[in-house]
Amino acid sequence: MKLGKWKLLLPLALLVVGATIGTSGALAKSAQSSDVKVAIMTDCKGAFAFGYEVDTAGTIAAFSQYAGAKPKNKKKPSAGMTGGSAGGKKLNIVGIGCGDETPALALKETRRLMVQLGGEVMIGPLSGDEAVSIAQWAKQNPQKTVIIGTAGSQDPTMQIAPKNLFRYHGDGAQWNAGLGEIVYKKLGWRTAALIGDDYSFPWTSAAGIIADFCGIGGKITKRVWTPPAGGDYAPFIRQLPAPDKVDGYFWLVGGANTSAALTAFEQAYGPVNAKQHSGNLFLYFLGANTTVAPRLVGAYMGGFGTFQTGGLKTKQAVQYVKNSSKWFTGQNVNDGFFYNYWNAAWALVQGLNKSGGRTGAALQRALPKTLRPGFQVANNGVLKLDSRRQAIQDQYPLQITKATGTGSVTTTIAGYVPNVDQTFGGYFGPNKPAPGRNYPRCVKKKLPWQGKIKVVKNGVITNQTIK
Amino acid sequence: MTFDRTKVAAERTIGVVSLVIAILAPAIFSAFWLNSILTQGLILGIGAASLIFLSAYGGMISLAQTGLIGIAGYALANMVTQRVPGGETKGLLLGWDPTLGLIAAILLTVGIGLVFGAVASRSYGIYFLMLTLTYTVIAFLFVGSVTLIGGFSPVAGVDQYTPGFIGNIVADRERLYYIALISAVFVYLLIRYVVRTPFGISFQGIRDDPVRMASLGYNVALHRTLAFGLGAFIAAISGVLYAWWFGQLSPTTMGLDATIQLLIIAVLGGLRRIEGAWIGALAFLAINNTVTNHIPSSGLPVIGGTFNTVIGFIFLAIVIVSPDGLMGLWDRMWETARRRGSPPRDVEGGEATVGATTS
Repeated sequence: MKLGKWKLLLPLALLVVGATIGTSGALAKSAQSSDVKVAIMTDCKGAFAFGYEVDTAGTIAAFSQYAGAKPKNKKKPSAGMTGGSAGGKKLNIVGIGCGDETPALALKETRRLMVQLGGEVMIGPLSGDEAVSIAQWAKQNPQKTVIIGTAGSQDPTMQIAPKNLFRYHGDGAQWNAGLGEIVYKKLGWRTAALIGDDYSFPWTSAAGIIADFCGIGGKITKRVWTPPAGGDYAPFIRQLPAPDKVDGYFWLVGGANTSAALTAFEQAYGPVNAKQHSGNLFLYFLGANTTVAPRLVGAYMGGFGTFQTGGLKTKQAVQYVKNSSKWFTGQNVNDGFFYNYWNAAWALVQGLNKSGGRTGAALQRALPKTLRPGFQVANNGVLKLDSRRQAIQDQYPLQITKATGTGSVTTTIAGYVPNVDQTFGGYFGPNKPAPGRNYPRCVKKKLPWQGKIKVVKNGVITNQTIK
Repeated sequence: MTFDRTKVAAERTIGVVSLVIAILAPAIFSAFWLNSILTQGLILGIGAASLIFLSAYGGMISLAQTGLIGIAGYALANMVTQRVPGGETKGLLLGWDPTLGLIAAILLTVGIGLVFGAVASRSYGIYFLMLTLTYTVIAFLFVGSVTLIGGFSPVAGVDQYTPGFIGNIVADRERLYYIALISAVFVYLLIRYVVRTPFGISFQGIRDDPVRMASLGYNVALHRTLAFGLGAFIAAISGVLYAWWFGQLSPTTMGLDATIQLLIIAVLGGLRRIEGAWIGALAFLAINNTVTNHIPSSGLPVIGGTFNTVIGFIFLAIVIVSPDGLMGLWDRMWETARRRGSPPRDVEGGEATVGATTS
């Protein structure tokens, strides 16, 4: 080989590298734009993979309703949207993040969306630990704004609470408000065991149940936590007390894993008695409506403050369903994933209109402190944010029932708990630990709504209280 | 000049040019590429270098390196983070001095690495591979199960606690890039030095024939243990840098996906040459970033899938075309050129080129 040949090789190699880098947008560049760059952070892998289209649908539907956008494909929300502006600036969705409920991937995706793709506002994430991770990131990036999509861990707006992070829905504890009191009064539970995934959302979810159930006098005799990756639940089920040793069980196993966990329970203890089981939203939502709920007809459960199959007949709720239903086909607008992303996007449009399209601190000041979401009833239908930018929302404990006529399984509203705040009247707080495996402790304490949960009949809130 | 010397000269030129580009990178690349691709590439490259060191010079393909990286990161995170209002919520939050935490994290990781190494020192081949994978699985389950040190939620805010000589890497991310670059150069030179020492030579002898080395009086198990300890030291450097770079630690840092990722990086770059660690890491991250930005989450036409599909095909192609990775491809290119060269040009200055052939 001639020496001259390899001399040619080096410039050639550098040319190839340079071209690759150039086409990848790696070289430093500064781009000025009149757009508002919005990133949607959701999951497309793992137990919540279905959320990718649902969350995107909620976001784009709100942009369509309130900012003049139009979905590109009514059957495929992730295809994006055309048009749409707020505060005089065009809404530009720079990317849709693809998480897998792990904090590590959520942070990587956040950096990609908000740094590489230049996102100024993020709507998301979907899951609890993701929100913990992104809240920490937000704290270090005060010029960026995060409006949580539908993640329910307590920490992001309680212990971490960066000023540029907002949540227009409840956390996992708020979503279970009233449930403990209902099983205590309606089913006569006095002792219960709980089983849940071992991460921040189920811990928060359990915290709401514990506060409520123990607050009225119940006892949690066992807490069992399973690795969130799912898999074989049999060894964990065996750690639970047998059905004759406890009045009931609270289920907080996440995503698509609830069915597998329940099957393991049935293999260990025989067919389930629905009156002995209760749990959070995972008993019905996220596909559990076909795998779990049919085995638990009659059981009470938490939710999102929404109703998978509709139900509330207030004017505001009816209007929301009407407005949100027209943008996509095949989307259940009563689903908490759709509803919460819708509200986040709607709040963003309001904020941008007020800030004149400016982002950063101007947008953070302008984001609304109140909202009129479809399923809010208290305060004349106005949802308020607290001082840590966390929603104080109404909650509706649900009961799994059989639909009249079709015989299919559905949910009906079991009660109405107005104005559930994140602290549960001081039970939780920014200077107290975040919920964990053994926190909060089971103590009797009067919650603000104790004894005041209203009965809901046929979607109408009555003046009767749950007894 | 001999053919081999030409190759060495070419490699040195490329090395120097790469180093110059790396030093000037903050002026050349966008902030995202600098912080997310290049910095991460250098850090993952250090982790892959610990794997390649054990593989290339000791014949020990270790899957424990990801676990050791995670152990170092978790140790640092738990030692240095503090409980402050509006602050961190997970981990021990010991609030130690960051310099002390850095030293302690590295020492702890090396100590654990030596124990791991001692247990695995008499295992070879698939048994060594499985044993070291077990170490990583143990580390993953340990940090996930012991919520006191984090659990499955992230231990965050690590990047706020750096030693004084490193400075504030949150406000000035270029600092971390240069720290990673200096560390990468240090690790590269360290490995180059160690493999030329009597210890390194005997370690390579053990790779080639452990029975013969034992019969010559060398303590094979001790050599392998010490080498594993050195691998743990390099992995620990990667681990603390990763903790600073990412700012948060969660068990997925040392999960099965991360373990396979590090192995892919090493294979992509080449398991026989240290340089392959960084080439593999940068190639892996560049592909990841490009695929993530340009392929919708619904996947590729016909075959579906996303990044894992793409990297899987590339991995397959590399293994089939060049089992020694991109560095092997480079070596093979030179070997092909050598075969095509004529004998007079192959032997210059009176020095014969080992293995030179004519075509």
